[in-house]
Amino acid sequence: MATSSFPGRASQAWTIAVVELRRAFFAKRALWVYGLALLPTLMFFGHGVAMKYRGDQLTRRGVTRAVLLDSVRDGEAIADVTLRLGKPAEDRSWVRSRRVRKDGENTGTTTHTIEPAMEARFVRLNIIRPTYSGEPIARIYEFEIYGPDGGENLARGRPVTGSPPFNPGEGPEKAVNGSVTGGEADRWCAFERPLFLQVDLGSARAVKRFVVKHASAGGEDEESDTREFNIQVSGDGRLFTTVESSSGAAFVEERTEYRTLTYFDGRRDARLLFIGGQLESSHIDRLLNLEEDRMIFAGVFQYFYLRLAIFFGCLGMFMYLFRGEMSNRTLHFWFLAPARRDVLLAGKYAAGLVAAAAIFGGGALLAFAAMIWPHDAVEIQAYWNAGGMAHAFWYTAAAVLGCVGYGSVFLALGLYIRNPIVPAAVLLAWEGINGILPHALQRLSVLYYLQSLCPVPAPMDGDTPMLVRMLAAPAAPASRPAAILGVLAISAAVLWIAARAVRRMQISYGSDT
Amino acid sequence: MSAPAVVFEEVSKFYGEVLGVNLVTLNIPPGITSLVGPNGSGKTTLMNLMTGLIHPDHGRILMRGISPRDPEALMRITGYATQYDTAPRWATGFTFITTGLLLFGYGRAEAEEKAWKALERLGLTEAANRKVAAYSKGMRQRVRLAQAIAHDPELLVLDEPLNGLDPLVRAETIDLFRAWAAEGKHVILSSHVLQEVDLISDQVVLIANGMIMAEGKIRDVRDEIEEHPSQYFVHCQDASAVAALLFGEDHITEIKLNDDQMGMLVMTRDREAFARAIGRIALDGHRIDGVVPADENVDALYEYLIGGE
Repeated sequence: MATSSFPGRASQAWTIAVVELRRAFFAKRALWVYGLALLPTLMFFGHGVAMKYRGDQLTRRGVTRAVLLDSVRDGEAIADVTLRLGKPAEDRSWVRSRRVRKDGENTGTTTHTIEPAMEARFVRLNIIRPTYSGEPIARIYEFEIYGPDGGENLARGRPVTGSPPFNPGEGPEKAVNGSVTGGEADRWCAFERPLFLQVDLGSARAVKRFVVKHASAGGEDEESDTREFNIQVSGDGRLFTTVESSSGAAFVEERTEYRTLTYFDGRRDARLLFIGGQLESSHIDRLLNLEEDRMIFAGVFQYFYLRLAIFFGCLGMFMYLFRGEMSNRTLHFWFLAPARRDVLLAGKYAAGLVAAAAIFGGGALLAFAAMIWPHDAVEIQAYWNAGGMAHAFWYTAAAVLGCVGYGSVFLALGLYIRNPIVPAAVLLAWEGINGILPHALQRLSVLYYLQSLCPVPAPMDGDTPMLVRMLAAPAAPASRPAAILGVLAISAAVLWIAARAVRRMQISYGSDT
Repeated sequence: MSAPAVVFEEVSKFYGEVLGVNLVTLNIPPGITSLVGPNGSGKTTLMNLMTGLIHPDHGRILMRGISPRDPEALMRITGYATQYDTAPRWATGFTFITTGLLLFGYGRAEAEEKAWKALERLGLTEAANRKVAAYSKGMRQRVRLAQAIAHDPELLVLDEPLNGLDPLVRAETIDLFRAWAAEGKHVILSSHVLQEVDLISDQVVLIANGMIMAEGKIRDVRDEIEEHPSQYFVHCQDASAVAALLFGEDHITEIKLNDDQMGMLVMTRDREAFARAIGRIALDGHRIDGVVPADENVDALYEYLIGGE
């Protein structure tokens, strides 16, 4: 057959493709492509196996009637539920406990009255445990002393000593200045032990009532309130008598009892969460939900399979079709064949395409099968009748057309650029921002057309951030025939550019002269 | 135009800044033509240009009327045995050659028959079904030759084809070349040893540093080299006296005195007679400080190709 005719050239290209198929399928540097292609299959298969196993497990422990499952209402007591529904398939309970300060006790301001009143010239406040939080810093906003008549604060403005302040301007005098509202500058704040304040009343006076205003009285956190302290009085400033010991507010243990009961009606499992013996929430879900699995499949297919697996898979398989032979020093064999360079390009592209389409088209079909497999036969039949077959077909078609598009792009890139990382990143970004580009530019990406081919729009939660939503959504999908033609047109244009590059390509193995 | 020729018109090829070949003009008629030159002189570059593996930066090439930019037409009539000692991992000797032949559009049976014939010609029948990658160097050389001739080309380009062949295959290969040449085909081969090819070549092309030094019938080229005036730089004390003596010799064609009277550039047609003359002058009491060849290219090539004997 004359090779200068079109059938002759096509047969040459096919001969080249057959030789190259081996490299395309089994190139050592691209074996990871199989991993990418099979990942969704493994995921869905694993999910199916896990759900089937769980179904068996729950069934063995007892099946509850579906009506009973639906009769459960929020707020019901645990005893009522178990009485009506019987023994659950699973019963887990746990207690959560935490230490909380006892309710209703104000720790910010404490008042201490002694009976009977005592004569004293010096009154001393000793801080033993300065805070609830454990921080070793004492903070007192005001220390007030009253006589039996209770009218006048005897401490106010009196000479006072105490531990040196932590910050300048927060000395002991701030605890007797009659105010608590000046913020942190209005407190006595000390770190150095012993922690104490000592007020000199000038002469012996009758004292009966003490008021201590702690951190939260000045607006700070309650955790910084004084936890343990005492009050002493003295006539001479040397011998002190303890008149009051206080431990501030008390801690109590707060215990909450949690319990989940699981019931199974052969298809749905109900997880009932009881808090403190009352039904807080119930989740009744089907173990295997075809509707939900199909949405997950749509998401995995669009976000992982098309955007990443096929993209990088084609990078691995097509980028090295020429580059690899250049580094193996075998490219000249093809260049010395009586074939046009574009025929060589076509042959190599065909080989890569057959391999990539088989791997990724097959991967998509397998994943689809793995998604369908665990569901019950009736449901599958119904799905099949409602266009399931067409879904399988269009997913496979999108995968194959993805290989057509990305394959041509990476084959061409491999002719121009040695290192794939930068162009791959740029291209990935370009395909990624596709959704927010003007419509005319959207048509210049492979992903745009592929998304238009997918039979089920990818799911998007309502709370997806705006940016992600914009990036992920195909703005204006094309019709299917337009999408197919679009991918083919882009590929043809890219291959035409690649053919020009191959025609200009020269053998340079590095060392020959 | 009489016989179809291989034509180079002012062809230059640069590798980046480095010159591969410079302004090569050739017209090679059918027959056996040897490209001879030291390693790195540009032989392989010329052959890669002929077969379109690389493209010239300047000039035009026609191979029996076909441009190397048209591999579909050119490679149909051309076989090129390269020096690249690599073979695809998958290939046995037989599949390697058969695959090549399938691209010519032969049916499988015909391709296999031609492959066997070529393998047989180069004594590779027994090794045909082993992987090329496992062949010895000599066998790989032969399998490349077999591939180049399998489709019975009109134009054979062979890069160092006699390297690594044992004497018997070598003699047979040379007979093959002769038979081809007799049919009016082109056999263009390269060698870095003139003796290896001067008996079988109809014409030779001498190359050094990417330039054609001589081209033509082997006898003419030999004479041309021998008669090519050699230049020497002579350092001496009394340059004008020495120059006067040298002018008396009839093989001296030109003398240029240096301005400082300390030396001169001498051009001679007979380097041995020149050496004798310098000896005589020195014995006469003229102080000769040194004689340095000034034209290294041709001289080195001559030494390299002929002087090794």
